[in-house]
Amino acid sequence: MLGYVIRRILYTLPSLFCILMACFLLTRLSGDPVELFLPIDASEEARQAFREQNGLDRPVVEQFFVFTERAMRGDFGNSLRFQEPAVDLLIERLPATLELALATLALSVIIGIPAGIASAYFRNSPLDFTVRGVTAFGQAVPTFYWGILSIIIFSVWLRWLPSTGSGTIWHLILPATTLASTMLALVTRVMRSTLLETIRQDYVRTARAKGLTEMAVLLHHAVRNALIPVVTVVALQFGVLMGGVIVTETVFAWPGVGRLAIQAIYARDYPVVQAVVFFFAVIFVLSNLAADLLHAVLDPRVRLR
Amino acid sequence: MKINRRTFNAALAGQALMAAILGRGSSAMALPAGTLTVAQGFDPVSLWPNFSTTQEQINVGSAIVESLFWVDPKTGKTEPVLAESYELTDPKTVKIVLRKGVKYTNGEDFNADAVVNTFKIFTDVKITPAYGRYAAPIDRAEKQDDHTVMLYLKHPYPALHLILSQIFIVPPKYWAEAGGAEGFGRKPIGTGPYVLTEWVRDNRIVMDANAKYWGKVPAGINKLVWRPVPDDTARTNGLLAGEFDIATNIPISAAAQIKAQKGLRVVSVPSYRIFTIGLSNLPEHPGALHDKRVRQALNYAIDKQAILDSLLQGEGRLLSGQILRKEQIGFDPSIKDYPFDPAKAKALLAEAGFPNGLTITFKFPTGRYAQDREVAEAVAGMLAEVGVKAEMVSLEAGEFLRQLSARELAPMGFVGLAPADDPDLQWAQYRSDWRYSYLANPEIDTLIDAGAKEVDPAKRAEIYKKAAQIMHDDASVLFLYQAVDLYGVTDRVKDFLPRGDQRWALYGMSMS
Repeated sequence: MLGYVIRRILYTLPSLFCILMACFLLTRLSGDPVELFLPIDASEEARQAFREQNGLDRPVVEQFFVFTERAMRGDFGNSLRFQEPAVDLLIERLPATLELALATLALSVIIGIPAGIASAYFRNSPLDFTVRGVTAFGQAVPTFYWGILSIIIFSVWLRWLPSTGSGTIWHLILPATTLASTMLALVTRVMRSTLLETIRQDYVRTARAKGLTEMAVLLHHAVRNALIPVVTVVALQFGVLMGGVIVTETVFAWPGVGRLAIQAIYARDYPVVQAVVFFFAVIFVLSNLAADLLHAVLDPRVRLR
Repeated sequence: MKINRRTFNAALAGQALMAAILGRGSSAMALPAGTLTVAQGFDPVSLWPNFSTTQEQINVGSAIVESLFWVDPKTGKTEPVLAESYELTDPKTVKIVLRKGVKYTNGEDFNADAVVNTFKIFTDVKITPAYGRYAAPIDRAEKQDDHTVMLYLKHPYPALHLILSQIFIVPPKYWAEAGGAEGFGRKPIGTGPYVLTEWVRDNRIVMDANAKYWGKVPAGINKLVWRPVPDDTARTNGLLAGEFDIATNIPISAAAQIKAQKGLRVVSVPSYRIFTIGLSNLPEHPGALHDKRVRQALNYAIDKQAILDSLLQGEGRLLSGQILRKEQIGFDPSIKDYPFDPAKAKALLAEAGFPNGLTITFKFPTGRYAQDREVAEAVAGMLAEVGVKAEMVSLEAGEFLRQLSARELAPMGFVGLAPADDPDLQWAQYRSDWRYSYLANPEIDTLIDAGAKEVDPAKRAEIYKKAAQIMHDDASVLFLYQAVDLYGVTDRVKDFLPRGDQRWALYGMSMS
């Protein structure tokens, strides 16, 4: 087990380095940040001062080595806009994104798993068709459309919930529900399909033959095994959630990392873009790692490798 | 189904929850009395107003840190704020008389030392790069006594009011303690009607009324909340949902919806932004556009009224063949724009040697201005009617800016330019050596230079009228329209009126 863990961790390092290099190169392809930071009629003297202060006047190769060396120490430089460490800006907004991601995860799991179980157990019944229809719809409709639609219905028409911002649990409901619309569908479908597989296994028949109640058979034997792929999917989706909430954070004006990323990209705020992209990459790689490790913990067959 | 205790309790809990949501939600989102809530596109980067020329940032910061004067859109005049008056003692010397008895909220005195110190900051290109254009005419500022400052200019400068209304006076001691622009920008101290109480980045900025304000705090506005809401649809929905008092940059398509809702109104402000299509006659851009008849033909080919009515829903004003707005010195009412006349356009093209039309590249931004792509497509369609095939090149906002200032938006480029409110700044954009001018006309250059130094308003107006006539006759650009800014406002907010550069101030506002 320990060997397995070490091997999986080592596999992540080359990925992270490639990502570091990629995000350095990509940010340089999109043009001169001076154009966006200073008014269009700023003097050449002012422009040059800006470039010097932010190291943009040095050769690109030199910029890359400086960048890499500092990145290893968690230093992505100062935001061109805010003139404070990019990592600090990231950390400042991290709680908001985590809050949203965790709320979405909780919603998806709490609703998705029971729905998947019910759908599988009552296969081909009206309940099953309803659940599958709703989840297919939830997955098909684009997230931002769900967001705008739910704002119009629940904030503008009914006036039940705030449409933007954060601060109370009420602010969290619409964004989390919007994000959950796709993830919920995924959890439900995976839960249903794996439970259908599991429920046909010999050991389930054996459990029934022992005289156990239907509920005991279902929950203690079938569902427990069927949860293995669900846990893996949820772990992977956490990475997607942390990086994919950009549209939702914009529509709901949720002050998280995704929104910081969008603003930094439009403003060509290199240091912040690099910090955020690298952060998302780390989260994604770690959630993949977590998924693999969880899989090993839950499924003894993996541990034997 | 048999009703038992569990079922009944569950149903009761469900109803209670629903009632709680309904009641709680409604009260949570009602606009609180005494609090003005403003939704704008971005969170300020700094609350020091002179950090940048971004109006969203200045509007927030200026509630705390005040300037010497304010060019008030309600009166059209340069109104005193921290200064009582200014006068030219000679063409290059300005005497500024300061208001007495004003204090910063940290106890520091507002006085000549503060003003002189701030002029030093303002003219240092490393600290204040964004205002280099306005600082350039300044030689130095000197204290004469505690409440009098002498400002020395390098040359006579007609747009003096732009300097005096855009320099925000900071407390010298605190500025040094806070560590300069960066520290001050995060925790500003000012003389203004409000003090900063909370700033949760990208979420909200909260200010309370300054109990010791030297003037009148806006009646009924005890607290300010600024909310950054990047998406214009979200700002609109928040206004409709009763979450904001003021929502800026409302899209044209949403104006009708806001007007239809009781308790809301749309404030429409003619923008300083002038939209034209650059028709480059620069030597480095050889081509058909060097012939003035071709440029005139392109103007005749476009039905500008149709563009205004259909794409901008009537929100805007046509230019009248000149780049100044009618409120500005130097606007010539006798000059009329080229009327829509496709037949004449074709005739001029034939006369210029293009009886069978021509092909030309047309560059435009996407996502930078309202309806920018749609307007560009309409223009291309109308040009096609007279035989001009436009090869359209769409540019992302950042690339558009790069090409604009690298003089690559050629031969045709759709631009909306919005300099500060002075004819010199408007005209300076067309001087041949300006870094993004697409016009080379020695006569116009001469007139621009003359207008920049002439301080007599009547003579100055004549200079600009001459330039306008030349530009019109030469068809140096394809004249289009002046944009409009839309704000969604609740009816309880009184006397809210932004300027055409999207700056607005709380002075004189109130809330019921």
